Amino acid sequence: MIADPLKTHAAAAATESPLRRVAPVHARHEFVLEVNNFSVDYGVGEDMVRAVNDVTLKLRRSQVLGIAGESGSGKSTLVYAMTRLLRAPGVISGGDVTLNLANEGDLDDVTPLSLVTASERELRNIRWSHVSIVLQSALSALNPVLRVGREFNEVLKTHRKGMTRSQRHDRSVELLKMVGLNEDRLARFPHELSGGQRQRIMIALALALDPELVIMDEPTTALDVVTQREIINELNDLRSRYGFAMIFITHDLSLLIELADEIVVMYAGAIVERAGASDLYEAPRHPYTFGLLNSFPPLHGERRELAGIPGSPPDLAELPKGCSFAPRCPFVMPRCRLEAPPLTNIDGLDRSVACWLHIGGPSVRVPVELSREMSPLRTRFTALEDRA
Amino acid sequence: MSVSTSPAQLSARHLTRHFATRVPGKLFQARRVVRAVDDASLDLVRGQVTAVVGESGSGKSVLARMLARIITPTSGELVLEGTSIPSRAKRTLAYASKVQLVLQDPYASNNPVHRVRHSLERPLLIHGAAKHEVDDLARAALSRVSLDPPERFLDRYPHELSGGQLQRVSIARALCVKPDVLLADEPISMLDVSVRLGILNLLKGLCENEHLAILYITHDIASARYLADEIIVMYAGQIVERSRGTALVDQPTHPYTQLLIASVPDPSDPTSMASRSDEHSSFAVPEIGCRFAPRCPFAMDVCRHSDPPDFIVGEGHTSRCWLYANEPEAVVEMALPERRREGGNDEDMKMSN
Repeated sequence: MIADPLKTHAAAAATESPLRRVAPVHARHEFVLEVNNFSVDYGVGEDMVRAVNDVTLKLRRSQVLGIAGESGSGKSTLVYAMTRLLRAPGVISGGDVTLNLANEGDLDDVTPLSLVTASERELRNIRWSHVSIVLQSALSALNPVLRVGREFNEVLKTHRKGMTRSQRHDRSVELLKMVGLNEDRLARFPHELSGGQRQRIMIALALALDPELVIMDEPTTALDVVTQREIINELNDLRSRYGFAMIFITHDLSLLIELADEIVVMYAGAIVERAGASDLYEAPRHPYTFGLLNSFPPLHGERRELAGIPGSPPDLAELPKGCSFAPRCPFVMPRCRLEAPPLTNIDGLDRSVACWLHIGGPSVRVPVELSREMSPLRTRFTALEDRA
Repeated sequence: MSVSTSPAQLSARHLTRHFATRVPGKLFQARRVVRAVDDASLDLVRGQVTAVVGESGSGKSVLARMLARIITPTSGELVLEGTSIPSRAKRTLAYASKVQLVLQDPYASNNPVHRVRHSLERPLLIHGAAKHEVDDLARAALSRVSLDPPERFLDRYPHELSGGQLQRVSIARALCVKPDVLLADEPISMLDVSVRLGILNLLKGLCENEHLAILYITHDIASARYLADEIIVMYAGQIVERSRGTALVDQPTHPYTQLLIASVPDPSDPTSMASRSDEHSSFAVPEIGCRFAPRCPFAMDVCRHSDPPDFIVGEGHTSRCWLYANEPEAVVEMALPERRREGGNDEDMKMSN
């Protein structure tokens, strides 16, 4: 289903029930994943297109990192490349990805592994058992001619060699229960299940070997809003119980704000803003983030005209010189068209932005929309007022 | 049932469509009927946007296709400009020139091997435009959807355009035969977030400036609130709640609408619903009684035995729920809008089987 190597190689056979750890946040190696100056190209030579450009990320244990971006922003390419699932013509052209694996759940005993240079054999050891991935389309990720139980059985058989048939069955039932499904689903074929049920099965499969990091690539995009809500609640619940870290990719920024601890916003292959979820919502700094937040019609308050973001998403093959958002930016300055702004820390270490408005020096006047105070109480209050 | 005051351009009267399917796994047994749309009535009025909100499988797309007469209704009738159209009659060119449909996926609904020019000129020729004027008409259609200058787009292939631009082409293609009614079936759900509002504002502009009657089908209730003059919520083939203006979103009365609204990710709402429910999706739609009853936190005995009619809950606002019957269970009735206002959905909306 996800990729052949995931199924075909044995991981260290740990037979005890593997759902156990809740990681303390400040361990010696607090980051489970570190991505440094990572770049990915499609193709080589003249037709080369840079899909991911110099991305640096850090993911703490048990945290949710949200990656928001539109199609073509490089968010999916980024995670496929850093898990080495990207196929040709995708090429990793620079940077490094380090996975800090805790040995036997002991956070003081951490083995760093560079995913960029890891051999196929090393990758097989970490895939699924340490890093698992849930794909957008659950229908195409599940084999249509296999009963659901077979998928569970195969994973456990391959990665947990010591388990007996009945142990594997018990574990499958336990996993289904975790995601709120009845055990009779094991005998069903994927087409007999609804979209939400299939996605729950994908999540259960991803958690089957108790990974430290789960990557979700738009897991709820194809689902109804009620089902999406259920899946999100389910994920929150599972995460607080089992303490895995999560990378959640979506184009739906308002969903991320509810779910994620930290959000990075990508545009044209690069990170344009990184901030804590509530800071990003209350005080966006990058004009693109601001535009995205204003692209969702509100459920409360007065109906007013919203503008969205003018223009079209960029063509990666013909990116403008300077800032790639400049052609659509309402606050564009001459400098933006000449020089690309680097991602720079502002307002302390916890957030950074790539925009000349904020990092262009004291002479640049920051528009009032992008210089909002971060004050959770005040915005809460206004939000409540709006509704009354 | 309809609440409009001005004469409708296109009306649906008790439209119903049932599909016969097999019971899974039982090849030779009795067929089961899926009631895709049951007794749906609505009026599409010039200069107004009517939004139909529902999850997948609620019958909203079947409704749109019946209005476009691509699917033949099982029963019910369509009334175009006051003239009733027999449900079994063949779809005619004349009807198609009045009522046009825009589909969800612009990449799938535009032929990849033809240029934009072809997509625009072909319907014009079919609908009787003279050869020498089609070029001008196609350009005019592109300008109407703000694809300026038209020369830049006429000779492009679909893959050369972005999703938002291509959806504008789809709308231009629908508009070029000068319809009075535009049916838009999830026109923005396949598009990037940043260009969605552009399409919504375009539809709004067409409605206000050119007095089109627009049916906007969506699963996104916030966008319905943004755009619509009338909002209709469908569940399992039935219209369960409808209101003029935004009353339905601001003061939802039907438990399903409340669930729908509570499920929308809403960063401005600190009390987001935190319910844990086990596979609602497997709830079968009951044969008798209210179709939402198995999922409804307020289900009463009456709900399981008889299908509720529409009850008036406000001005131009009806709700298909027994909670609003005139006498019974008045306590619950009073409590419902209160709960929403307090945002205290956590306990109340907890879904239990």
